Amino acid sequence: MIGAVARRAGSGLVVLWAAATAAYLALLAAPGDVVDSIIGDGADSPQIRAQIIAEWHLDRPAVVQYLDYLWRAAQGDLGRSYLLQRPVRDVIGDQLAPTVRLAVAAAVFGVVLALILAVVTRGRWARRVSSTAELVLVSTPPFLIGIVLLSVFSFRFGMFPVSGDRGWAALVLPAVTLGLPIAGVLTQVLRDGLDRALDEPFAVTARARGLTERSVLVRHGLRHSLLPAVSLLGWLFGALIGGSVIIEQVFGRPGLGQVTLQAVSGSDMPVVLAVVVLAAAAFVVVNTAADLAYLIIDPRLRRS
Amino acid sequence: MRRTRSAAALAAVVLALTAACSPGEPAASGAGQPVSGGSLTWAVETEPITFNPHQYAQAKARLLVWNTFEALLTHDDKGGHLPWLATGYETSPDGRTYTFKLRTDVSFTDGTRFDAAAVKANVDQFAVEGYNPTVAAVQLRNLDRVEVIDPATVAFHLERPDVLLLDFLSSPQGAQVSPKSLKEAKNLKAGGPELAGTGPFVLDRYTAGQEVHFTRNPAYQWAPANAGHTGPAYLDEITYRFLKEPSVRVGALTSGQVQVIEGVPATDEALITGNDRLTFARGLNSGSAYSYYFNTAHAPFDDIRVRRAFREAVDVDAVLQGVYRGSATRAWSVIGPTSPFYDKSLEKTYGGDAAEANRLLDEAGWTTRDADGFRTKDGKRLTVRLVQSAPFVRDRRDVLAQAVQAAVKQSAGIDLNVALVDQGAATQALADGAYEVFDNSRADTDAGAALNLLLHSAGAINRTGVKDPELDRLLEEGQASTDQAARNGTYQRVQRLTVTDQALILPLYAPADQVAAAATVGGLGFEPTAGVPGSAYHLWLGK
Repeated sequence: MIGAVARRAGSGLVVLWAAATAAYLALLAAPGDVVDSIIGDGADSPQIRAQIIAEWHLDRPAVVQYLDYLWRAAQGDLGRSYLLQRPVRDVIGDQLAPTVRLAVAAAVFGVVLALILAVVTRGRWARRVSSTAELVLVSTPPFLIGIVLLSVFSFRFGMFPVSGDRGWAALVLPAVTLGLPIAGVLTQVLRDGLDRALDEPFAVTARARGLTERSVLVRHGLRHSLLPAVSLLGWLFGALIGGSVIIEQVFGRPGLGQVTLQAVSGSDMPVVLAVVVLAAAAFVVVNTAADLAYLIIDPRLRRS
Repeated sequence: MRRTRSAAALAAVVLALTAACSPGEPAASGAGQPVSGGSLTWAVETEPITFNPHQYAQAKARLLVWNTFEALLTHDDKGGHLPWLATGYETSPDGRTYTFKLRTDVSFTDGTRFDAAAVKANVDQFAVEGYNPTVAAVQLRNLDRVEVIDPATVAFHLERPDVLLLDFLSSPQGAQVSPKSLKEAKNLKAGGPELAGTGPFVLDRYTAGQEVHFTRNPAYQWAPANAGHTGPAYLDEITYRFLKEPSVRVGALTSGQVQVIEGVPATDEALITGNDRLTFARGLNSGSAYSYYFNTAHAPFDDIRVRRAFREAVDVDAVLQGVYRGSATRAWSVIGPTSPFYDKSLEKTYGGDAAEANRLLDEAGWTTRDADGFRTKDGKRLTVRLVQSAPFVRDRRDVLAQAVQAAVKQSAGIDLNVALVDQGAATQALADGAYEVFDNSRADTDAGAALNLLLHSAGAINRTGVKDPELDRLLEEGQASTDQAARNGTYQRVQRLTVTDQALILPLYAPADQVAAAATVGGLGFEPTAGVPGSAYHLWLGK
C-alpha cells in the first residue's frame, strides 16, 4: 500500500519535472528572446537592452538559468513575472480561485446535464433531437456560444450580469458556456455505454427479477456506462483549462486563462512555467482520482 | 412518463437561468448640470500591465493614470503647457536650467506632503538600475541632476538644451508618486493600491483580469486651470471593468450594465449613434500618424522611384473607406493632424495615381511581369515584406494591410507580402533587416519625441535606415528650441523632407479613440493634446 503511494508520488514528480522542462525548451526554441518580449514595440537601444539583461540576469547560459529555475522552484520560489513585475506566486494565487470556481461549476453543470440527457432521452425521437443538439454543441466554438448566450440572456433580457467574478449570477453564463460542449461529449459516451449495458445478460436477469425499466437503467446500466465516461476525466480537465482562456476573455472574468494567454503571447517565461507545472500537478491529481473512481464504480477491479 | 420528465428537466434549467436578478434600465434624459455623487462603471478595452505611472507604456491606460497621479505641468490644446502641481517655471537663457515653483498646499493621499524633495525623489528613482531603462535612455537622456532649492522650488539642470523636458513633466512617466510609496511599496513596478498619488481619486481595489476601483479623494483642491471645475471630483466612486471583446462592451452599454465604454469598433458605431439614449464621441490621438515606413537600406526601396510608386499605387481614401466604413481620418503626414507641428500643406500632394505609379516603376527598370501579374526586374519579383507583431496589432491593422496588398497588386503589380507573427519573430525580422515595410504609430504628446525615435539616424525605432545629417540637425534643433513658432517651422521642414522630398513614409490614418456613454453621463471628453479619453475628474451622473 505504502509502496503504491510512493510509486504514484514519484511518477507524479517525474511528470512535473518533464512538463516544466518541456515548457522551458519550447520557450527557448521560440523565435526572439526574453529581452525582445520585455521591450515589446517600444524604444530599443543597446543601452536599454543591457539594463534589462542585467536586471533579470539573462547573461547566464541557458543551462544555468534552467538549473537555477529548477532549484528555486523546488524551494517554492516561482520567480517574478517579466511583464507584470510581481511575484509569480501572487499573480497565480490571485487568479486561481475564480478559475477553480468556473471549472467546478462548468464540470458539475456539464456532468449533471449529461446524466439527465442520457437517461431521459431513451426514446427514438428524443434521442435523435438530443444527438443533433449534442453534435452542434460539440462543434460550435465556445466563443460563439458565449456571445450568443450573452446577447440573449444578458443584453436582451438582462437576467445575468455580463462580467466579472461577482457572485453566483455572474457565474451562470460562463459556466453554461464552458459546460455545454462537455455535456455534449459526455452524453454521447454515456448513451453509448447505456445501450451496451442494457443489451448485456445481467440486464435481462435484472428485468427477470422484476425490476422496473427505470431502476435497471439507473442502478445497473448507468454504473456500467460510467466506466468509459470516467476515463474521459483527463480530457474533461483539459477542456476546462483550455476553454477557460476563451470564456474569461469573453466574459471579462479574472482567472488563470487570461494570465496564461498574456504570459504566452508575451513570452513571460516564469508565469508560463508556473502555469504548466500547476496544470501538470492538477492533471496528476485528476488521474489519480480517476483511478480511485474505477475502484468505487467497478467492484471487480477491487479484487484483482 | 418520459416526456413529463424531460419537460421537468427543461423547466429546472429555465428556472435556474431566470433566478438571477435583472439590472435596471437607465433613465433616458440628458445629463443636465453637474451634480455630485453617484458611482459609475466604465468598460475599457485594455487592462494596464502596471499601475505605476513611471512604468506607463500603454496609451490605452492613460485615462486611468490621471485619476490617482498628477504631474508638474499639463498640456493645453495648443501645444503649450499649463501649471498643475507646479505654479510656473522659468528657463535659463542657455536653455539648460528649468526652475519650477511648486504649489505648497498639496498632499499625497497617504498624508505625505508634496514638495521639492518629493519631485527630486521621483526623478532620481529613474536612476535606479532596471527601474525604467527606456525613460532613463530616452526622456531623461539630457538630464544632469535635480536640485532642491527650497521646499517650494526645484531646478532641473540639463547637459544640453532639451525642451522635451516639459513634455516629460506633463506625462504619466513624470507623474508624482509619494516618496513614502517609492521607498516602501512591495511591488513598486507593478503599482496598485499601495502607491499613493495626489490625484482626485484613490485606487483602492484592483482585481486582476476583472476591474479596478477608485474612490473620491475628498481633500482634492488643486485641479489645473483647464479642468473645467475645482474642488473634489463629482463622482463618489468609479469602476473600470476590463472587457476585451468589443461586441461585449457594446452589449454591456446598450443593456445598461455599464454607463461608459471605450473602444467602439467601426462596425458598431451605427448601433450607438442611432440610439438616442446613448452618446458617442471620437478624439484624434496625438503623436505620429499610423504610417508605413519604407526600409531604404536595401532594394527595392533604396530607389526613391519605387517608394513614390508604392505611394501612388494606393488609393488611401478608398482603402480606409473599405476597412473602416468612413470612421477613420486620413493622415497626410508622419505627424498626426491635431499636433501644432502638423504641416497642412502636405494634404493632397501625392498618392492614388496608378498611372504615375506604373510610369515610375517602368522608369526604375521593373518593366517585365511574371505569370502572377507581378512586376519583375532581372528575373526577380517586386516583393516587399511587411511583418506585423500579432500582440500589437489593433484597429484592424491586419485587415488594412490586406487592403493595401490588394491595391498595390492591382494598380501597379507590386507584391506586398504581409506576415502576422508573434512578437519574437517580429523583433527578429527587424533585427535581421528582413522587411521592406514597417508599420507604426506613436501616441507621444509632443510629436517631436516620436520623430526623434523614428527618423533620427540614432533613433531607437529608426526602421527606414535613413541617415541624413540635415534631418538629424533639424530634429536636434526642434528638441533644443524653447520657441514654439521656431519649433513649428523646424518640424514643418522635417515633414517636407521626409514625406515629400524623400518619400520615406506612407501615412495612412490618424489613430483615434472612441467613447460611447449613456446620455445620463456628463463631462465626457478627451484629454487636450493627447486626444485620449480624459480622467474621471470631469464626469458626473445626471439624474
